[in-house]
Amino acid sequence: MKNLKLTKGLVALSSAALIAAFTVAVPTVARAADDCQETTILSGIKVVDIEKCTGTDGNKSKYEIIMPAKFNGTLMVYSHGIRYNVNLPAIPVVSPKGSLVNYAAEVAPSEEVAAALLAQGFALAGAGVQTQGWNLEEGVESALQVLTIARDKYSKINKVVTWGNSLGGLTSQALAEQYSGAVDAALPMCIADSAQAEITMAGDFLWGMKTLFNPAIKGTNYSAGQAGYVEMLTDLGTVLTTLQTLQANIAANPTAPAWPSTTTAPAALQALPVRSVVLLLGLMAGIPTQSNTYDASSGPAGASETTFGLVLSPALAVLENGAEAAILAVIANYDMEVRYGGVVFDNSTTNYAARVAEELDQFAAPLTGRSNATAVLGYLSLMPRVKANAAAVAKMNSVYQLQGKIEVPTIVLSATADNITPAGAAQYLKNQYEASVANGASKSGKLLTIWNKPNDSYTTFSAAGAPIAPTVKTNGTGHCNYTTSQILAVAKLVASAAKTGKIPTTTAVKAAIKNEPNLFVDPNFAPPLLKFRQ
Amino acid sequence: MIRNKSMKRATLASAIVATSAMVLSIVPAHANSTGVTATTIKLGVSTPLTGSAGLVYGKVPGAMRAYFDYINANGGVNGRKISLVIRDDKYLPTLAATQTTNLILKDKVFALVGALGTATHSKAYTAAALAKNNVPDLFINTGFSGFTNKAKYPTTFMVLPTYNMEAKVMAKVIKDNFPGQATFLIAQDDEFGADGVAGFTTAGHKFTASPTLYPQGTMTAARAEGALATLGAIPGKPVLVLFGTTDVTATILKAAEKLELTKKFTFLAGSVGADANTLLALGVKSTTVDGIVSASFMPDAKDLTDPYVKQFVDINTKYNKGITFDNYVLAGMNSAMLTVQALRAAGKNLTRAGLMSAIEAKGSTFASAGLVPLGYSATSRVGYNGYWVSQLNAKGEGKPYGGKLVIYTTDSGAGAVEVSNFVRPTMPKNGIPTNS
Repeated sequence: MKNLKLTKGLVALSSAALIAAFTVAVPTVARAADDCQETTILSGIKVVDIEKCTGTDGNKSKYEIIMPAKFNGTLMVYSHGIRYNVNLPAIPVVSPKGSLVNYAAEVAPSEEVAAALLAQGFALAGAGVQTQGWNLEEGVESALQVLTIARDKYSKINKVVTWGNSLGGLTSQALAEQYSGAVDAALPMCIADSAQAEITMAGDFLWGMKTLFNPAIKGTNYSAGQAGYVEMLTDLGTVLTTLQTLQANIAANPTAPAWPSTTTAPAALQALPVRSVVLLLGLMAGIPTQSNTYDASSGPAGASETTFGLVLSPALAVLENGAEAAILAVIANYDMEVRYGGVVFDNSTTNYAARVAEELDQFAAPLTGRSNATAVLGYLSLMPRVKANAAAVAKMNSVYQLQGKIEVPTIVLSATADNITPAGAAQYLKNQYEASVANGASKSGKLLTIWNKPNDSYTTFSAAGAPIAPTVKTNGTGHCNYTTSQILAVAKLVASAAKTGKIPTTTAVKAAIKNEPNLFVDPNFAPPLLKFRQ
Repeated sequence: MIRNKSMKRATLASAIVATSAMVLSIVPAHANSTGVTATTIKLGVSTPLTGSAGLVYGKVPGAMRAYFDYINANGGVNGRKISLVIRDDKYLPTLAATQTTNLILKDKVFALVGALGTATHSKAYTAAALAKNNVPDLFINTGFSGFTNKAKYPTTFMVLPTYNMEAKVMAKVIKDNFPGQATFLIAQDDEFGADGVAGFTTAGHKFTASPTLYPQGTMTAARAEGALATLGAIPGKPVLVLFGTTDVTATILKAAEKLELTKKFTFLAGSVGADANTLLALGVKSTTVDGIVSASFMPDAKDLTDPYVKQFVDINTKYNKGITFDNYVLAGMNSAMLTVQALRAAGKNLTRAGLMSAIEAKGSTFASAGLVPLGYSATSRVGYNGYWVSQLNAKGEGKPYGGKLVIYTTDSGAGAVEVSNFVRPTMPKNGIPTNS
């Protein structure tokens, strides 16, 4: 293999199969020379001397390696989350100033985290993958390459941790499973489920919006070339307009909000408060019922306190969460259709009624009764569905799928109300791992999942009783919304695991998160899997 | 939802949420004696304490705690004192899930007792991983027949009969006592009402018209008046079955008063919606309450000739000061007494698995205030498995319909409704169980 030395970790690969797989994965294009500079950064008030190296790897992915002068021996290789694979003009909410595809290297979830880790002596590395969008394969390759480049350059690297956010979390886990000899520990954060599972969640919500609220939404099957790009941009605008209409209608009359005028649903269905239908769509798709603003419990002081918490808050949470899911669905669907050569979302056989059978009881009140929800589901069962392109789906699923075959200590961090990569994705990995242990493919004791939960209640209200959107995103909600101290606490644990080869003890974990009241560990906590997996 | 109690509605107000710090603990996977020490047993309950739901149901946990205090003052259970951690869920499913999780992970209780509500507890059960944690989930206050599914709720023990069973008994009451009359059903549009509708269907009862189903919290006076005005034109004295919460029963009865239709119907109110005290408090006239037929499994809390009621009243006076004794206090103390017997039956070497096994093996013989038998066994997690039929008088007292106590038993399936000769176990001396 060219341009790649077998480093210490890689030498540890013991099976021929693994080595073969590794060989296949590594590109053979020569990389450009490093550009290294000695400089300093600030972590709080601490000045940290570092050497920062940038370059491009064999696939022309930009990379960055930062080595602190006081190195503790551990390199943390970061994989970033999904980025848009298309340039976007100025679009409210989505890209207010417009955006170009971002290929910049990223070494940590934030500059603050990076600075803190460097101050602790960790070396950091990461890439800006040469292909954006759903780039799991390319992401694994780029992470592997920057890892190797770093080890080539710095022989003093003893341990390597692979970590990442969202799709990057999936990337880091895929890397650890496929090339366990290359890393000593893994830290997937807000880990994404597979492309198919994720696009099913977002796609279900988008399909529901199209079917019930605005048939002008295209959602899938974008045309080839420039025409498809324009269709996608048009869809973003249509989806945003529809979401804004829903929001305005609910704000105007929370008890019995009207449907958007664009709906073609039967009049009988439109007699239902549209908020109940929004909630139903969220339940169908698996969108969390707690969001940044809405905790599904609190209400303004006074007569409507419980009513708000019970009836309105879950629906508003779904709307807040679902907005991001729907926008992502448009862009991701477009990206995946281009990438895989056809429609990948498929709900042609989905039984939405079966999916929400239990939730109908738990949310009967905000759904305005079981019968009404059943009527909406009945209507949806008769509506045209989306049939995927089998070849495109096969191509999508031909990339590595997590096996749960965990050989290095792995710590997963996942939020219970993450609206893009729900906690069920982490649970799926846990289930796979347990199955792998049960069938003898993995050893036990290699996986620890740390959950991040919002406070018991957190919605606040103005004196007039209006909910107030928090200025700081509510921890435990939103996508990959961890605090710096949470990330550092977990990073410390995974670094320890890399050194010992073992998951830290219960006592050590307790100590590490004792000042993080929103983190908890419960081996038996089992959030629902993504709907695609149920 | 507790029988003979009111309100299961969206509009119930509430109050304070304990915004406590989040769970930080790590529970050993197989720690089956969590919450038990040499001298203590820690139990927990998530239930509404504040808001309108709290006003109605809020007495239940306090009554349980009062009974436990009484037992503690008399030596506890096998030398252990019982403590009860009470968390307010405001009758909100999401908050119930949070609070139940807190009970397990933060408070580290040994078992749950008396959780209340179907939507709340079904969500909480999953969220708090009660099955995986093997946490005994004792004597839940809901009649949703789904909780009888041992495979899905392996640690749950009901105390109430199911709504399905109640509907079957009601169907028999109609058949035996009101032949030839038109019958109508107004029911809540959720698992509660659906369970009832299913029970009537199983019993073979056909209503004169399709059931009127209303979403929780939407039965307004205008809607009730509209429904009654239509039914008022039906010849004869139709039987109107009200399968909802007490606030809705009150709304419908007040609509009948306004339309001067109170004597037009025979009102057959489900146990959830027939608490006389609440009906009167909500402004229903005593003359309207007089004559309402209902189903129950407990004695009337006003019946001081009942030895269980009398004993619990005495305990309430001393250990629950300032709280008026009523059906809710009776229910809470009764569940607490069942809990004490379960703990005793589990023996000194108390484990979660042992506690559940003890109820399966001996629970059907536990002393309790219920006038119908308990149905616990290795295959059944149903509590009371039947009803007696009562008729309210103008004082709000429930007396046996027809002047004689008749006990009906049945199941949540296709089993028949049968008359039982069940004889209730004697109240333990001083209300202190001595079973083993």
